[in-house]
Amino acid sequence: MAFWYIKSGMDKEFTTVTIPTSLHKKIEEFIKGTEYRSVSSYAAKVLRDSLSKAEQPATEVFSKDEEEKVKERLKALGYID
Amino acid sequence: MNDRKVLVVGLDCAPPEIVFDRRDELPVLKGLLEKGLWGKLRSSDPPITIPAWMVMTTGADPGRLGLYGFRHRKGYSYDQMWIANSKAVHEKKLWDYIGEAGGTSTLVSVPPSYPPYPVAGNLISCFITPPGPGKETTYPAGLKAEIEERFGPYIFDVVFRTEDRDQILREIYAMTEKRFEVMDWLITAKPWNLFMFVEIGVDRVHHAFWKYMDHDHHLYEAGNRFENAIIDYYKFLDAKIGRLIEKAGADTAVLVVSDHGAKRMKGAFCVNEWLIDKGWLVVKERPSKPTSIDDLPIDWDKTRAWAWGGYYARVFLNVEGREPKGLIPAEDYEKVRDELLAEIEAIHGPAGEAWATKVIKPQEYYEDLEGEYPDLMVYFDDLYWRSAGTLGHGTMFLPENDTGPDDAVHAQYGIYILHDPKSGRTGRRDGDILDITPTVLDIMGLPVPERLKGRVLRP
Repeated sequence: MAFWYIKSGMDKEFTTVTIPTSLHKKIEEFIKGTEYRSVSSYAAKVLRDSLSKAEQPATEVFSKDEEEKVKERLKALGYID
Repeated sequence: MNDRKVLVVGLDCAPPEIVFDRRDELPVLKGLLEKGLWGKLRSSDPPITIPAWMVMTTGADPGRLGLYGFRHRKGYSYDQMWIANSKAVHEKKLWDYIGEAGGTSTLVSVPPSYPPYPVAGNLISCFITPPGPGKETTYPAGLKAEIEERFGPYIFDVVFRTEDRDQILREIYAMTEKRFEVMDWLITAKPWNLFMFVEIGVDRVHHAFWKYMDHDHHLYEAGNRFENAIIDYYKFLDAKIGRLIEKAGADTAVLVVSDHGAKRMKGAFCVNEWLIDKGWLVVKERPSKPTSIDDLPIDWDKTRAWAWGGYYARVFLNVEGREPKGLIPAEDYEKVRDELLAEIEAIHGPAGEAWATKVIKPQEYYEDLEGEYPDLMVYFDDLYWRSAGTLGHGTMFLPENDTGPDDAVHAQYGIYILHDPKSGRTGRRDGDILDITPTVLDIMGLPVPERLKGRVLRP
């Protein structure tokens, strides 16, 4: 197992989470030549994205375009008018 | 948790009048029924796909879920709304209990499951998945590719914007065929304690073909070529279910359920037209052609009530201090609502016939009340008349749906058949949609939380 850090630009305090060494190695390979300087910064970015998606409120799931399409379908199906 | 496996066969909209009364034509379902426990299953209020499947799989009623249909107002705004989706369900679901106990579940298109959400197991999203490429539709996300490389794109729903019934029928069969291809693979490829799917094709075939089958339907024509479209589809489905059950293993408990029933649509009632006539809704100009309430020039300074259409009507009051241009003084809320309720209950049909209209006050009906509930929920003539939100048709009573090809409405009673080879539960006993979660937990040897109102189904 490898240790790595989650950090954000503003956070001053850090803690550790663990991931399998093999995954750590894969990420190291993957970020070569990208803007990510470390496995930690990449992991923090991915986790933040994932969390913000999970925390998305129900009222904002559909984009305007998607909402129109789903509404049209629900209308045709008789669920809404 | 014990080692029992449960296969839940969800047939959206399947009514007792077909599944039970025509069981001689459906050998698989008949076989389960003869060896199992079965009965009518009272749906939720409202008996609508969303929230009903979540009522069934959380054991919580719509009030507690805060879900009253496919769309909701954003707060008390007049024109902002949002479409119900999986993120709106905060109650613990059947598969959450199973996951916590170390078990896994495979969930195929149980509404609402878009966006796909994490489960201990596998999940494919449902028919509210927006059309278009690049959407995440499974959990884990990689399951989508596993499915597509074997079977091509999954089909979430059929297109209903056409009067071409042949095309609708072809699409319904193609969708169901695809779902079963995927499930025939999933059921052996992935481990599960609970395998649950919802076949939405049943609902679609009802809505598109009911008038061709039901001799009592006002648009029925004897000898029409779609007379057997519905029952033929059920036979096709019955055989598919049979093959899936074989793959599920002989010891697996099979539970066939529907979220609500179906019956003939007598017509659509233009509720907003009626509200204008009665002085509750005031418009700057009365439309001369069919118009959605969303496009109606409503004079909010003078309007006291307006309504949304669907299988049931949601009626909203324009209350001072609550709505942006609220008119009804807050202290008069109950008095005014009762006045409107009495007027609604007195509505008669186009020939002056009495209606068995049911009106629900959400604040009194539900023990818990979450979310954006309407001020009144109305089942015109016990749901026989759907609520048309549009107006400007030149009449208040439409012989057909205002928004698409539709010959059926929802009915309060769906079905269940439980065949559990190990429990010996047999016979007829009617149940409630809230009983399903406790019953499955019980079969799996999991404790039934006290706060669930439903009961374990037993003979």
